[in-house]
Amino acid sequence: MVIMRAIWFVSQIAFFGLIASRMVVMEDYFRFYVSGLSVMTLYSAAIFIGFDIYEEAEHGVFEYLLSLPVSRRQLVLGRSIGGGLRAFIYVGPLMCIALYVVGITNPLNFLVALFALFLFAFGVSGLSITLAVVIKSSDRFDILMGVLDALIVRLSTAMYPLSFVKEANPFYGWIANFNPVTYASELFRWGVGIESALSFRNPLLPLLGIVLFFSFFIFLGIMLYERTIEGGGWR
Amino acid sequence: MKRHILYILENDFRNFFRYKWWLVGLISMNLADLFIMAIVYNRMLNPEIAKQIKSYFDFFAPGLTVTGLFASAFMIGREVNMEKRAEYHQYLLSLPLTRLELAFGRVLSGGLRGMMYMSPLLLTCFAFVGFPTLIQLPIILSVLFFLATGISGLSIAIAVSTRSIDKFVTARGLIYYLLFFCSSVFYPSSLIEQLGREGKFPMLLVQFARINPLSNAADLIRSFLLGTPPFSPEMVFSVLIFSAVFTSMAAFAYIKLIERA
Repeated sequence: MVIMRAIWFVSQIAFFGLIASRMVVMEDYFRFYVSGLSVMTLYSAAIFIGFDIYEEAEHGVFEYLLSLPVSRRQLVLGRSIGGGLRAFIYVGPLMCIALYVVGITNPLNFLVALFALFLFAFGVSGLSITLAVVIKSSDRFDILMGVLDALIVRLSTAMYPLSFVKEANPFYGWIANFNPVTYASELFRWGVGIESALSFRNPLLPLLGIVLFFSFFIFLGIMLYERTIEGGGWR
Repeated sequence: MKRHILYILENDFRNFFRYKWWLVGLISMNLADLFIMAIVYNRMLNPEIAKQIKSYFDFFAPGLTVTGLFASAFMIGREVNMEKRAEYHQYLLSLPLTRLELAFGRVLSGGLRGMMYMSPLLLTCFAFVGFPTLIQLPIILSVLFFLATGISGLSIAIAVSTRSIDKFVTARGLIYYLLFFCSSVFYPSSLIEQLGREGKFPMLLVQFARINPLSNAADLIRSFLLGTPPFSPEMVFSVLIFSAVFTSMAAFAYIKLIERA
């Protein structure tokens, strides 16, 4: 998976990013796209924790985890943070390539953005765990994740600025306004200093959005985990 | 011979329908690309490029059809690789079929499955971009069929020459992205050539994009539906050569390597 993601990431930068930047009217689209690409990659890496849950259920690891002297709450929180951290480890080298291409103008802003990206990755892992526990079928989960990935990434500002999304279709723009991938992309761009196409003047707004996203899915994950797993209910 | 090949086709189509929900997911992703990404890029087009292609949505729809065809025709390789690892190929070799029938049947079924998956995308393309004439339609379908068979052959050749799924997935990733991104599927070939002239893109890749069968198949549909780029017989020949090379290579590799495995 790491190699596949790396090949995808590098080809996106070297081919799509480079050529598409000539195709669009927007200035500095190449840096804009590369920063959005980092967030897209982080999102897809963090989603993977859900697939692990199915694998654990198949191999009986789930029962083992439930028998450990940790509360269900700690288990969900730990898994979400673990999934997020793992995604960061996967994406770390790719993000370094992106940072080399894009550059950082204000290290302090970048640290704030990095913190937000950690929360974003934890939130996406929480979302993935929540859906995995609710859906209970790895095939359905796989399909849903594919569709969700297609919609959540395309209806965000990861690939294009919000103004163009709104212009193309106000409904798309409305969804993109509340999309956590939009918040993460905007904060990452703010952190590295690509401020010309930012849709939020105040970086606290997307940060707040990410905190809400993280808290909601951690809370929901804990609640559903506690309700559905007891007595083999997750099967 | 025909009957034997039909059995292989039936078997491979049954396998294909086992992934029906996965296919639905894949189609919805393709449609999201068309109805979200392409519509937004339409608004972002550089005026110079807009003069050339007019609408990104119309430009991208044929490209998307070709990428869908590519992804689905490539699926047969994954199955062949899995069969080899599970030693299911021993069973296939024990069937009362000649090696050539087996190999040709596998390549053909990969191609036909690709055509089947691609048809809703092609219909969407026709519905939104325009319908071809009665003479153009069979040309489009034949070129796409040859492309699908060539892709199926390419994926089988990779599948039988790689031992582990990891190596297969890595090789597949490299080929996927090279063929997808170094083509005129997402952007006009004039842009790739311009970058090549400026020295920002290796000329070798510019040349590759020119002969890439995905570029030629997408440009062929565009030439019929949009009138640009102008039709050239090179578009058809490029796909035919690709198909002939990879179909025969896959049949040869399948026969030789599967017996050795």
